[in-house]
Amino acid sequence: MLSFFLAALLPGLYWDQSPQTAEAVKKTGAERVYVPAGQEAAWKAAGIDAQAFDAAKFVKLPAPGVEYRMDVAAATSLPWVDANGWRMERDGGRCRYYYNVPWRKAALAAAEAYVYGVDAVVHPEARDVPALGQMLGFLRSIDGPGLPVLANIGIMDDGSDETGEVLNLLSRRNLMYRVIAAPDPKYDLNVQIGTKEFPKEEAADAYGFATLVRQKLTDEKRLLRIYGSDVVLGRLNGDDRRVRVHLINYGGGKVDGMRVRVRGEYQHGKVKAFAGQDAALTEYEVVDGGTEFTIPQMSVYAVVDLEK
Amino acid sequence: MIDDMKRRAFLQAAATAPVALAASLHEDLPKYRIVSRFAPAAIPGMPGPYPGVVARVHAEKSIDEKSEKVDVPTVREMIAQGMRALTGDADARDSWARFFNSADVVGIKVNCSGAPGIMSTPEVVSEIVRNLGVVGVKPIQIWIYERFRDQVDSVHYDRYVPAGVHIWTAEHNRGSIAGYDPNTYVDVNFFGEDDTRSNLARPVVEHFTKIINVPNMKDHGASGVTGCLKNIAYGDFSNVARSHSGIKTNTYSLIGTLATVEPLRSRTVLGIMDGLRGVWHGGPFSPSRKFRFYPKQMMFGTDPVAMDRLLLDVIDDKRKAEHATSVWDRSLAHIKSGNGYDDNPNIDRYIREPGHIEYASTLGLGVYDLDKIQVRKIEL
Repeated sequence: MLSFFLAALLPGLYWDQSPQTAEAVKKTGAERVYVPAGQEAAWKAAGIDAQAFDAAKFVKLPAPGVEYRMDVAAATSLPWVDANGWRMERDGGRCRYYYNVPWRKAALAAAEAYVYGVDAVVHPEARDVPALGQMLGFLRSIDGPGLPVLANIGIMDDGSDETGEVLNLLSRRNLMYRVIAAPDPKYDLNVQIGTKEFPKEEAADAYGFATLVRQKLTDEKRLLRIYGSDVVLGRLNGDDRRVRVHLINYGGGKVDGMRVRVRGEYQHGKVKAFAGQDAALTEYEVVDGGTEFTIPQMSVYAVVDLEK
Repeated sequence: MIDDMKRRAFLQAAATAPVALAASLHEDLPKYRIVSRFAPAAIPGMPGPYPGVVARVHAEKSIDEKSEKVDVPTVREMIAQGMRALTGDADARDSWARFFNSADVVGIKVNCSGAPGIMSTPEVVSEIVRNLGVVGVKPIQIWIYERFRDQVDSVHYDRYVPAGVHIWTAEHNRGSIAGYDPNTYVDVNFFGEDDTRSNLARPVVEHFTKIINVPNMKDHGASGVTGCLKNIAYGDFSNVARSHSGIKTNTYSLIGTLATVEPLRSRTVLGIMDGLRGVWHGGPFSPSRKFRFYPKQMMFGTDPVAMDRLLLDVIDDKRKAEHATSVWDRSLAHIKSGNGYDDNPNIDRYIREPGHIEYASTLGLGVYDLDKIQVRKIEL
C-alpha cells in the first residue's frame, strides 16, 4: 500500500476553440490548460498560460458513464458501467490520460481522474465548461493530506485482456484491490490467475471470476458495500485512524438514500457532496465491525471522511 | 450529528426456530439473515387471533363485469358481513373495534402492481377508511401505501377517501431506497448480486401501529399466485425483484421470510382480500383485459396462509377452466422468454412457486392444511 493518493493533482483542460473564448476558460479555474500546438502565444496574449497538447503523450480513455445493453446476455439487468479506474490502477501511475467527453460527462471525468490521483486532461463540449469548472472548484475545496489507497485484495496482473476485464469487474463490484507483482500477506486475499485457486479458464468469464473473488474474500471482509445504487463506484484511502471514501456516481442522475457500509469502526463522519449544499450523513451507525451511513442525495461525486 | 449506537440486530426468536425447521426440510434454500431491532408482539398480527379462519363473502352484484363499475352499497355490506363472520360479533363496529382504536396509526397496504386494470379497489379502500373512522381513527392517522408512485398515481385513491388520509409510496424514483428503513432488512445473496439487502418500508417502522393488508386475487408468473403473503412481503420491502432473475426463482422462501420480519409481522393485524376483480394469467400485471375475471368475492382473516391457500384454488380452477397450465406445473416445456407470456396463458417465464404458501406455514404464519381451515361462507 505504498501508492499514495495525490491529493493536489487536479485534471487539466484541453480546449481547441479560439482564444476569444478565454473568459470562459478562466471561469473554469483550470490550473493547467492545453491548446492545439501553435496557439500557445495567442492564448498567452489572452491571459492564459497554455501548453501545447500532444496527444501522443496521453492515453485516451472512453467517456465514463453507464449503458443499458439490453442486447447483451447477462446474469442480471444491471447497467453496464463504463469506468476507467481499473485502467488507472493497472497502469500504476505511469500514464497520463486524456478524456474527450460528450455533454454532461466532463465533471464525471474530472472526478474520476481526481479520485485515482492520475494526471489527466479533460476535453469538454463548450456547454459543459461551467459544470467542469464547478467540479474543479469542488475538487479544489477538498482538504486533507494524501492518504494511502486502502485495499484488501492483491491481484497479479499478466497484462492480458482477460485480466483487464477481471480488474474492471472487481472495480464494478466495489471490491478494493491493488495490482501487485507478487503475493503479499498483508492482503486478505491474493489473486494469481492461473493457479489452482484461480484457474485461468475461469478468468474467461470475468463476471463469474469476480464472483469467485468475492466468495473467497467473503462479504464480511469487504471494505466497502453500497446499497441502493447499481451505478456508484467507490475508492478508499486511509490509515490506522481514518478513511476517506470516494463515491463516484456514473449514472447521470441523482442517487437518493444510498446506504454505505465501510469495514472498521469509525465514530465520526462527514460528507462533502458535489452540488450538494448542506450535505450530511444520516442514520450513522457503528455496527458489527463496520460503519454505516446514508447519503440523502448525491450527484456526480461525494467524499466521506471517517475518523475513529 | 452521529449517534453512537450499538448493534441491535438479532435473529428474531419467533422466526428462527421455524426457519431452522423449514431449512431442514429444504436444505438448498438460500441463507437469510434478518436484521431488526423489533421484538414480536405477544400475539403477532399474523396469524393473529383467528388462525385457520377465513370469512368468505360472495356477492354477484358487487361489480358489473362489462363496465367494471363497483356497487358501493354491496361492497359496504360485504365488508360488514365479512368482519362480523370473522369475529362472531353482531355489530360490525364491534368487529372493527377488536382490531383498531383511536390511538392507532393504520397503514393500508394496497396492491397496485396491476393498476389501472386491477388494484385494491378504491371503493373497497374507501369503505375500510370509513370503518376505521367509525372506531375513532382519524383520517390523518391513516396511510394508504405501496412501493411505486407511478402505479398508485394511476388509481387516484385521493378521490375516494377523506382529506387528510396519507397516500404514500416508497419509491418516487424506482430503485431508490430512501423510503426504506436502513436498519430493518433481510440480507440474502441469491445469485451473486452486489446489493444483498431488502429493506422494510419506513412508515411500517416509524409510524404504523397496525396494518391492514388488501391484496387482490391474482396469478403470478413467479410465485404462482399473489395474495396476502406476497402483497405484504414484496409490497413492503425494497430490492425484491432480484428473487426472480432466473427461471428457477427464490420466491418459494423469500416471500414467507419477509413476512416474518418484525415489526411487519406483528403489526399486520387484518387481511381483506379484494376479489371483486381477479387476474388468472399474466399477473401480477394486467395489461390485457382478456386475462381478468370476476370472482366477486372478498375474504377476511388474520391468517394470510389460510387465505392464500383458498386463493390458490380460485386461480388454479380458473386456469383449468381456461385450459391453461396449472400453477403447479413445473415443466420447462412452457417456459419461454420474450413477450409470449403476456398473450398466451400456456407460456410461462418462470417455474411458478405456489409452494411458497405452505413454506410460509412452516414459519408460523398460518394454517395451510385445507382440512384445518374453517371457511365461513356468506352469499349476498
